Amino acid sequence: MHPTDIFSLSFDALVDRKVRTVLTVLMVVLGSSLVVVLNGLSAGQAEFLANQFSALAANVIYVGSGQHSYHGSSSPASIIINNAIVSKMRTLPYVEDVVPGYSGSAQIDSQGNTQRISITAMDPTKLAVILPNLQFVDGSTIKPNDPGSALVGDTIANPPGATTPFVVVGQTIKATYSYTDASGKQQQQVKNFIVSGVMQPSGNTRIDSSIVINLDAGNQLLHKSTKYDQIVVAAISPDYVDTVQQELIDQYGKTLGVTTPKSIMAVTQKAASGNAAFTLMVGIIALVVGAVGIVTTLYNSVTERIREIGTMKAIGAQNGDILQLFIVEAALIGIIGASLGIIIGMGAGYVLSIFTTTSVPGSGQIHIPPIYVPSDLLKVWLLSVTLSLAAGIYPAWKASRLSPMVALRRE
Amino acid sequence: MGVLNKDKSGLKGSFTTMVSESRQTTDTNSNSTALAVKNLSKIYDSVSGKVVALDNINFTVKKGEFVSIVGPSGSGKSTLLNMIGALDRPTSGQVYINGIDIFALSDSKIATMRNGLIGFIFQSFNLINRTTVLKNVKLPGMISGMPVSEANNRAMKILEALGIADKATQKPVNLSGGQQQRVAIARSLVNNPAIVLADEPTGNLDSKTGDDVFDMLKTLSRKFKRTIIMVTHNPELAESTDRSILIKDGKVERDVAN
Repeated sequence: MHPTDIFSLSFDALVDRKVRTVLTVLMVVLGSSLVVVLNGLSAGQAEFLANQFSALAANVIYVGSGQHSYHGSSSPASIIINNAIVSKMRTLPYVEDVVPGYSGSAQIDSQGNTQRISITAMDPTKLAVILPNLQFVDGSTIKPNDPGSALVGDTIANPPGATTPFVVVGQTIKATYSYTDASGKQQQQVKNFIVSGVMQPSGNTRIDSSIVINLDAGNQLLHKSTKYDQIVVAAISPDYVDTVQQELIDQYGKTLGVTTPKSIMAVTQKAASGNAAFTLMVGIIALVVGAVGIVTTLYNSVTERIREIGTMKAIGAQNGDILQLFIVEAALIGIIGASLGIIIGMGAGYVLSIFTTTSVPGSGQIHIPPIYVPSDLLKVWLLSVTLSLAAGIYPAWKASRLSPMVALRRE
Repeated sequence: MGVLNKDKSGLKGSFTTMVSESRQTTDTNSNSTALAVKNLSKIYDSVSGKVVALDNINFTVKKGEFVSIVGPSGSGKSTLLNMIGALDRPTSGQVYINGIDIFALSDSKIATMRNGLIGFIFQSFNLINRTTVLKNVKLPGMISGMPVSEANNRAMKILEALGIADKATQKPVNLSGGQQQRVAIARSLVNNPAIVLADEPTGNLDSKTGDDVFDMLKTLSRKFKRTIIMVTHNPELAESTDRSILIKDGKVERDVAN
């Protein structure tokens, strides 16, 4: 038979059973669109994470006091990070800069409104070491020897949902730090700052949800006694990050915690990949369910059309002709279902990403649009069509093997 | 009406090899013989033992002859028609159509032979109701790989000859029983077969419509020299054919010219 005749007869058979055909196509649509949505959202999430990390300097290493133990084993005691440690780190090979800092949380008051926020104290001229793309919504950075000025993250200055800013450049904010003194009494340290600049969200959630003050002001407000909480070590280029990291580990072992944006990203992306693989499996299971639907539909179709198959064989149709008729029906279901599924899945992914836009303190509105890679879409399409074809093979084979006489006798 | 004339060049090229493979040099294969049945037997195995459905059947049918096969229910006439139509294989014996020993062929070649040499007319029409009359009629042509334009042309000419060309775009389910059987007759002729096998073609029709359909078959035989073998219960119709073969208990009881 000519391929056009096979197509014409198969198409007629599908049109003849409209409702069943539509329901079967719907199963394939659901399966393929689910795979497309999950794949697109996972790719969007991976891209979002990569973008977040790309906002951070690629040549920096974060050093904190001590490493957490995850297996219940006791870790070595942390060492105190002081100026001696900072000076020693500056002498290590391939180190370009070392930026120590204090951190803590305080309550700030501005024009009768209060917020509990993080405080980061560091040399403000070194902000570019950590955030190479830092930009200001308003104002400018503070001078290194100015203990009365502060930089404020945009999320603090303009809280999500608020109609008026919490604070603007030039205003004074009062920071109150609560602590327990040596005698066990609860004390408060209060210090006023003039807002020098409002920072744009940078992707560094710690900085974005902080006010940044200089080292002396931080030491005084947070009662740190020149004991730093963390150090940012900048290698001379991203190529030397691993070397410097290894050097730090060799020098200080587990008494200092050493992490890099690269390692954080690797862990995060690994988790995201695992999540993506899981969700993709859910989609593929849906596709397999769709394929089972095709088996059922075509098998019923063979049973219902048994006399028709008998007649066709009586008038000379070869086994291969009958096989092709049912395979083409399965292929048509797969092609229509997969194509619609991809279009619907892409649309659904965009709609879902809009509905799942969230506000995160320090980062503003987070909208993760799905990303559809043409080669991935092609793979989903091919997978759906292949599964549909595979599902059609058994009923088609069954139909093709029918004896014409047996088929003609069947009521 | 020229399309209904028996066209000797109608055999497809694919039959050339088939004929050379299976043609026998016997007196039953002369140019005037359309069908020869030789020592044909069919024995079925059942739970109650062996059942002899056909027992050493022998006869020949000349080209252009209209032969009826009659007999009581269970006599074996439908089994015989299935053997002649190569829908089932015999336990022993041969069937020659246009000199071709059809059971010497492989299943695939038998299917090709059914498509090119045999036209089937069924009691219950066996039309594909979801598609048009035209597509039903040209179906054997489609199966043989006939070019679309040729298949359409032949199908339309036959439908015109049978007086139902105006129904070409309709679905068979919307036609009367008589019209549906005409569609089935048209389908049986589209590939210009050597023989037309009709299994109780009037069985599902009222007597008037049945007579019309039978007259059409008679016209095909008389006027257009078609070879027709018809199984029927109706003795009056059988007497109106050129020859009647009475089958009883799987044997030819009587073979008489009418």
